[in-house]
Amino acid sequence: MKFSMQWIQELVPGLDVPAAELEQLITVRTAESEGVERAGALLEGARVARVLSAEPVGKLTRALVDIGEGEPITVACGAPNCRAGMRTVWVPVGVKNVGGIESNGMLASAAELGLGREDEGIIEWSSDTIDFAPDSILEIDNKSLTHRPDLWGHLGMAREVAAITRENLKDPVDLALLPKGSDSFNVRVDDYVLCPRFSVVTFEDVRIAPSPLWLQYRLESLGLNPINNVVDITNFVMTELAQPMHAFDRDKLRGDRLIVRPAFEGEGLLALNGEEYVLSAADGVVADGERAVSLAGIIGGKGTSITEETTNIVFESANWNASQIRKTSARLKLRTDASMRFEKAQDPANTVRALARAIALMRVVCPEARIGGRLTDDYRALPEPQTIPLKLDVLDRKLGRIVPPDEVREILERLAFKVRDAGLHLFEVTVPTWRATKDIAEPDDLVEEVGRMIGYDTIPPEPPRVACTVPPDDPKRVWYREIRALAAARGYTEVYNYSFLSDEQFQRFALSPDDALRVLNPIASDQNLLRTSLIPGIFANLELNRKHFDAFRLFEIGREIHNLTPAMPREIPHLAAAVYAADGDGRSGLFELKLLLLAIAAEARVEPTAEVLPYEHPARTATIYIGDSVVGRLFEAHPSMIEGRAAILNLDLERTLDLRPQQQPFQPIPKFPSSAFDISVIAPLREYSAALETRIREFAGSLLERIEFLREYSGPQVSEGMRSMTYRITVGSPERTLSSDEINAVRDRIIEGVRGLGHETRT
Amino acid sequence: MEENLAELERDSVSAIAAATSPDELEAIRVRVLGRKGGALAEISKGMGKLAPEDRARLGKLLNQAKAAIESALESRTAEFESAALTARLDAEWLDLTLPPAGVKPGALHPLTQIQQEIEDLFRSMGFAVLDGPEVEDEFHNFDALNIPPDHPARDMQDTFWLTGGWLLRTHTSPVQVRGMERYPLPLRMIAPGRVFRNESVDASHEHTFYQLEGMMIDRDVSVGNLIYFMQTLLTEVFHQPATVRLRPGFFPFVEPGFELDIRCLICGGSGCAVCKHSGWVELLPCGLVNPNVLRMSNIDPDKWNGFAFGLGLTRLVMMRYAINDIRLLQSGDLRFLNQFS
Repeated sequence: MKFSMQWIQELVPGLDVPAAELEQLITVRTAESEGVERAGALLEGARVARVLSAEPVGKLTRALVDIGEGEPITVACGAPNCRAGMRTVWVPVGVKNVGGIESNGMLASAAELGLGREDEGIIEWSSDTIDFAPDSILEIDNKSLTHRPDLWGHLGMAREVAAITRENLKDPVDLALLPKGSDSFNVRVDDYVLCPRFSVVTFEDVRIAPSPLWLQYRLESLGLNPINNVVDITNFVMTELAQPMHAFDRDKLRGDRLIVRPAFEGEGLLALNGEEYVLSAADGVVADGERAVSLAGIIGGKGTSITEETTNIVFESANWNASQIRKTSARLKLRTDASMRFEKAQDPANTVRALARAIALMRVVCPEARIGGRLTDDYRALPEPQTIPLKLDVLDRKLGRIVPPDEVREILERLAFKVRDAGLHLFEVTVPTWRATKDIAEPDDLVEEVGRMIGYDTIPPEPPRVACTVPPDDPKRVWYREIRALAAARGYTEVYNYSFLSDEQFQRFALSPDDALRVLNPIASDQNLLRTSLIPGIFANLELNRKHFDAFRLFEIGREIHNLTPAMPREIPHLAAAVYAADGDGRSGLFELKLLLLAIAAEARVEPTAEVLPYEHPARTATIYIGDSVVGRLFEAHPSMIEGRAAILNLDLERTLDLRPQQQPFQPIPKFPSSAFDISVIAPLREYSAALETRIREFAGSLLERIEFLREYSGPQVSEGMRSMTYRITVGSPERTLSSDEINAVRDRIIEGVRGLGHETRT
Repeated sequence: MEENLAELERDSVSAIAAATSPDELEAIRVRVLGRKGGALAEISKGMGKLAPEDRARLGKLLNQAKAAIESALESRTAEFESAALTARLDAEWLDLTLPPAGVKPGALHPLTQIQQEIEDLFRSMGFAVLDGPEVEDEFHNFDALNIPPDHPARDMQDTFWLTGGWLLRTHTSPVQVRGMERYPLPLRMIAPGRVFRNESVDASHEHTFYQLEGMMIDRDVSVGNLIYFMQTLLTEVFHQPATVRLRPGFFPFVEPGFELDIRCLICGGSGCAVCKHSGWVELLPCGLVNPNVLRMSNIDPDKWNGFAFGLGLTRLVMMRYAINDIRLLQSGDLRFLNQFS
């Protein structure tokens, strides 16, 4: 929202603060300012100029002009209307050569001066003086005005400024101007929820013309397009009082009344912006006897709009239901200056104030127009004044500072609250209508009014007095932090990937879209599914980084999101880690990841699997178990997926944490020495070590303390297609030192057992 | 015999001095001092034939000669050992400026690092760290935070809507609501996490970013308490005394609501490009918890109140490391991420 400094000054006549300073005050007391712009900059030093002679030079005119002092000066001008004898405006922009003419300054168009849109020629000036000066335009962030319907007009902001600077506010509205007498126009409101108040005045014998320059200047400097006197008045009132208005051409209305009703299903309206809208029963319209003539609170219809031929007009000033306007505006994707204001919940008391202001402006701008009949004002019930009890001790406690009661009263009264001292540190505060629609409803809202006006910088920081308690710990979070530290220490760098995937990625990674939540309004068509796996993101990371590094490691801890509608989706935290090497046989990466896995969950088992996903290397994929539960996968990327070798670990952290074994009591250190011997088993190449180890454990029996894998070997010493796997077997007893016979018995059992499996052994 | 002994001593000592290796030395030792057939042993064999008075005198001389030869051997041996050690030490020269073999540590994401710091700080002040779902329902993301349907405040947060009526949380504030549902009062909690807004991505805008929500519900919590916590927090985060200011800001879940600015850390408040010459940098929204939010969670606002704030972790990381492109954070690019190890 833009505010004109000059306009605010008209409403706060005593204001004597430069715009740059005022902007800061507004920011810390009221709403966030985004900066100050200049409007009408060329008006600085502008002078009324009489063109003494005009001589064509090519496409230009060499004009000799009298600027009211000194010798006449020469100006180059490209405007078609530049002619001897005219009065226009000269602006000092320095001397320069324009098309061979030594030109001193320039003659300006209305658009160049900021006094309107006209840019076809230089401005025709009728007065002897220029009563316009450059203006400062304060740009206030709309988001910080969301809760303040009153600040969508200059008067509201002027009231804040007056309160901040302790100056007086001048109300431009004179309600005595509202006409009395017989009804000028019939109104029927079918839905008072949609339209709590609908007020109308009419004018006859109106002559449509461009507005005077002062009015155009105001609108232009705020970025509004001046159109004609009547439309400009509605926009001026809206910008001043925050009450949007609409003007109908009365002669184009069919029948003799306006009806406020829900639209008929499928009813059409050609709007002022040239768009045709198809409406539904959820939208409100203003209709004449036959059809919708305006989309309630949003935009007028083209068919009944003001044109140059218009002579009789109807001014509508209505109050509309905020959420209804917002719904329609959102559905039609049509946001207008009117809808933006109405959706903030405007004050129903303001409709007639706006009409009174419009009447005052019509007297100045269209003096020949006659007001037709009395005010038509239809409403069922206006809200009762709202009174809020404010306990002063509560106010002080919430702010953390004592504010003297007199100061509280003064602040509130300057903001137009009425304050009654009910004794015992209690104020009864009556809320002005324009703050009562949804902004101020509770004592806490008054705490804010007082707090912002005393300045939050007057409140001393103070540590709270609270019970000294140990906060509950979340074992998940503690554990994730441990995992992150482990992974980083082992050389993995943490990445964060997006939660979005594409249909194409789902297909490529064999994910089921039925398992995923879909984004209804995705930012891009390739980000329309929520990830049910971290793996596609990891592959993208691998692909990116392998361009820059021959070898690297990375990991992510993030959530898979699985659709269980109507139940809440399941968000399952996962660890995905990868080791990449451009060269090599890929073994070390897989075993590095296995080491990481065992550091995280020592009880995890990596077991071969027959079910291989398309992006996995079929001979290098394993399922990870804890107990009987699957908790993840360890695999090498399929060579068709990426160049080089990429080993990937995917671990369900939720399940892994759930299955984490309890900390066991310690085992006593053996009192008796144990003995060890090595056994090599010659088994077929693809016999899994873990399976063999399980069998050895069974054969060894109860004296076994532990088995260690020492090494594997395949080569000249063993037959083709076979490998030797060497284990160190440690045996012992808590009760005694084993005799050599007992040790040999274990060894013999193992050798016998392994041979029973069809494998040779070497000891 | 005496001459023989003197000659043996003389010859042996000079041979020892002339020896060039430990092996040579050993050969001399065996030749001279060997128990069987050593030159000294041979001489002592002949002593039995001597007169007792000569025997005693010669025995003494023999022991003297033996001691002299042994001493010469010992010192020559020590010389050899010392030379050998010196040679070994020299041979073992090692270039310790070489990089070590093995893998260098990786890096935690800068967002993780700053989040952990802030978590630790708040835990030390008695705040629990809570988690909440990234996919939310409208109630927790909006309604329970005093943002009813059709409230214009819903426009402030462009929402990703999902099938099934779900949405991606637009802020971490729903975790406030879940915290109040779950934990007894008084309550002190923070909730860091990933949030989503439907915004086009460029160097300074992201659709996915990170916030840290904080809330304290107790008796008589004041604006002064809030300022205290924020000043403490930011002083820790930036490792230098932070000056903050509050100014009015509208967020439906707090009343009064504030925007908190921090005195520009780059220029110290005198004005620079970072603070757009205002001396202040907008950092986080905060306020006293709106009584409607408390009521929605069945908390009596006459008995309890509190403050809440929403810290932008992404923004904090960017400020701390002067990161000029927000997209780097989720690029997965190790050229960027490895800088934070």
